[in-house]
Amino acid sequence: MSAATFERGYNALKEQIDAPIASFFSSCVRCGICAEACLFFTETGDPKYTPIYKLEPLRKVWEQEYTLLGKFKALFGLAQKLTDAELAEWKELIYNGCTLCGRCSMVCPVGNDLVYMIRRAREGMVAAGHAPEGLINASKRAVTTGSPMGIKLPALQAQIKHVEKDTGLKIPVDEVGVEYMVLLSSMEIINFPEYLEAIAKIMQQAGKTWTIASAAFEATNSGIQIGAADIARELVSRVVTAAEKLQVKTVISPECGHAYTAIRWEGPNLIGRPFTFKVQHILEVLDEFRQQGKLKTSGFDSNRLTFHDPCQLVRRGGVVEQPRHLLKMIASNFVEMSDHGKMNWCCGGGGGHSAIEEAHELRTQVFQRKKTQLEELKVEKLVTACANCRIVMEEGFEAYEMPMPIVGLTEMLAKHLATSNESN
Amino acid sequence: MSKYPTIGESLRHQGISRRDFLKFCTAVASILALPAAMIPKIAEALESTPRQSAIWLSFQECTGCTESLTRSHAPTLEGLIFDLISLDYHHTLQAAAGTAAESAREAAMQGNKGNYLVIVDGSIPLGNPGYSTIAGISNVDMLKEVVAGAKAVVAVGTCAAYGGIPHAAPNPTGAVSVDSLITDKPIINIPGCPPIPLVIAGVVAHFVTFGQLPNLDSLKRPHSFFGQTIHDRCYRRPFYDKGLFAETFDDEGAKQGWCLYKLGCKGPVTYNACATTKWNDGVSFPIESGHGCLGCSEPNFWDAGGFYKPLSVPINGVIKATTGYALAAGAAVGAASGALNRLKRSQARQNHETVTITDLERNQK
Ligand code: SF4
Ligand code: SF4
Ligand code: SF4
Ligand code: SF4
Repeated sequence: MSAATFERGYNALKEQIDAPIASFFSSCVRCGICAEACLFFTETGDPKYTPIYKLEPLRKVWEQEYTLLGKFKALFGLAQKLTDAELAEWKELIYNGCTLCGRCSMVCPVGNDLVYMIRRAREGMVAAGHAPEGLINASKRAVTTGSPMGIKLPALQAQIKHVEKDTGLKIPVDEVGVEYMVLLSSMEIINFPEYLEAIAKIMQQAGKTWTIASAAFEATNSGIQIGAADIARELVSRVVTAAEKLQVKTVISPECGHAYTAIRWEGPNLIGRPFTFKVQHILEVLDEFRQQGKLKTSGFDSNRLTFHDPCQLVRRGGVVEQPRHLLKMIASNFVEMSDHGKMNWCCGGGGGHSAIEEAHELRTQVFQRKKTQLEELKVEKLVTACANCRIVMEEGFEAYEMPMPIVGLTEMLAKHLATSNESN
Repeated sequence: MSKYPTIGESLRHQGISRRDFLKFCTAVASILALPAAMIPKIAEALESTPRQSAIWLSFQECTGCTESLTRSHAPTLEGLIFDLISLDYHHTLQAAAGTAAESAREAAMQGNKGNYLVIVDGSIPLGNPGYSTIAGISNVDMLKEVVAGAKAVVAVGTCAAYGGIPHAAPNPTGAVSVDSLITDKPIINIPGCPPIPLVIAGVVAHFVTFGQLPNLDSLKRPHSFFGQTIHDRCYRRPFYDKGLFAETFDDEGAKQGWCLYKLGCKGPVTYNACATTKWNDGVSFPIESGHGCLGCSEPNFWDAGGFYKPLSVPINGVIKATTGYALAAGAAVGAASGALNRLKRSQARQNHETVTITDLERNQK
């Protein structure tokens, strides 16, 4: 039977070092600016959470395997080879101490894409057997059951029945040749069925055809979070096969930010060819409906509320303006957080972090960042567009006893959908 | 002992808290490219260091360099610099004028003999001394007099560093750079027309914190900011590598963001940090706004054969034959080690065993 070994991990790190990574390491000027961008550093004050420091094992491999200086150093015994113990030690930094939020990549004065590197470093950790148990189990479930939370088709079918009963609308499954194929995240299926309900209503109002694929309804990709391209590829291929079989024009990524990154940006690279369909985030689709005059709302929410930008949407995905346009249709007292948009602070639980049991305490600690942002604003309500952010922030609110409702933007819009003769 | 208050004292005097002081030290550390762990050490050093006396001399210039510095952004660099130094004379910025201004300069020179920093912008005319004078003193006389008691000289901007625009052919005033007149003091050049404010701040902060100038290259520029060309760091570089060039400023290629090489971009021979630090609070830099680099931080940039002429047309005096050989040799070494590294990576790829869910853990022994 195969198993993870240090040698496999070392080889994987060697494999990951491409031209961008080599040039990033050689151009780092050690300014430490990335530290200030990372919530793990700002909230703990511990310099070991400086993003570039989290990459020390990968840097060592680069220096020793690919640079002249590194080879000299090794020759004269000036440099120590990377050891398994070091990898074990860095597990805490690479997984528990990073949510792949990408804020550090935004500030590096020499343009180093740090989060790209951390994502790559995880490949080595996985192959060496140093991935956290929570993520390993999620990946196993994703591959065997189709969902990281172990949700199988019958569970979805049961939810579909509920939603159909509540709304009187039919939820199309496996329809061929429709415009949109809608993906869901397990969190949405189990914790927030309102999402599916919202989609059904909005699609109905907009007069669009859509479907869910029974062979690939789950969008979250544990392979990306744990850092195993092989597993990520397997999961992405399922979606691609289903979408191509159903001949849909567009696949809609659910609110979940990492799901979007996985299918939209990493997807085609993983399978090594362009998709035959388009991929859009649900908010991009909704904003298009709005522009086409196909999204009509009525009434305004007058609570003082703000929007939490999911990291993967704003920083990796460029979905910044869409939620604002949409919110303005239905909220009369919308205020922006400090650092909103592409510099927004992470909820503290992205990148698979929320699946890491032993990182719970640290997650609560770094949530203080969001807490501070929200306290400055004195809002009554928080809107976001990622089921994972939502759960993480709900837990944070609980820990700090901050009673504040959080809603998903899609479902909030659905609540304000106009019936045929009224609209804003 | 200096008559100046220490930096710590002077910040406290302005009502700056300990926490803000540490933030200030963090800003200093970051422009000096030091790790976060150094911050307490910097704090300790700055707490007891007196503010550095500095005399700023402006000669044949357009005030763009001073503008560049005072228009800079967060963490307000000019604020930061002015907290680190005591700017005892700067005729554009100071309130005093005429005799009062000149006596401030003399007082600073006497009071800090051997210890003050001279910052110069503008070139010095050697033609008729009357071409540029301050308080009736010619630029060359004032430079020599002030530098005599200085600890080091910072030549800010291309005019002070290499002569700049006044030096352009036919150089009617006989303009020269600072380092062609001063040979007995440490000099650092921060070229650029104008120079990047962060670089000025970084150099001054380095000098105050460590009492000496940072590492310099052969043109006396700080390595940390002038180590690479604009081209090395240009985000349009992938197009250059693919041979995709805009041919005019409004063709399809220009709209697609292709490389501006054929439109005269001097990025490949220009050492500066614009492509990474950018301008106006990191908003963009010329190439990002659709115009090639002019090469403003290089010697003779004004005479380098036309801003819109592509580089492959040889430029007299800028690229010498030796650079060509060095480039060729460098490229060969680079190519060889690049090939080895590629081999290594492809071997690593061959050794890749597909990761499945059965091998996420170690074997239990
Ligand atoms: S990606 Fe986010 S969490 Fe990870 S190191 Fe960068 S700033 Fe920190
Ligand atoms: S911000 Fe960039 S240059 Fe600075 S330490 Fe981090 S990776 Fe290095
Ligand atoms: S635009 Fe200029 S600096 Fe950028 S790649 Fe082209 S030639 Fe190089
Ligand atoms: S891009 Fe070139 S011309 Fe422009 S400021 Fe920088 S060095 Fe000077």
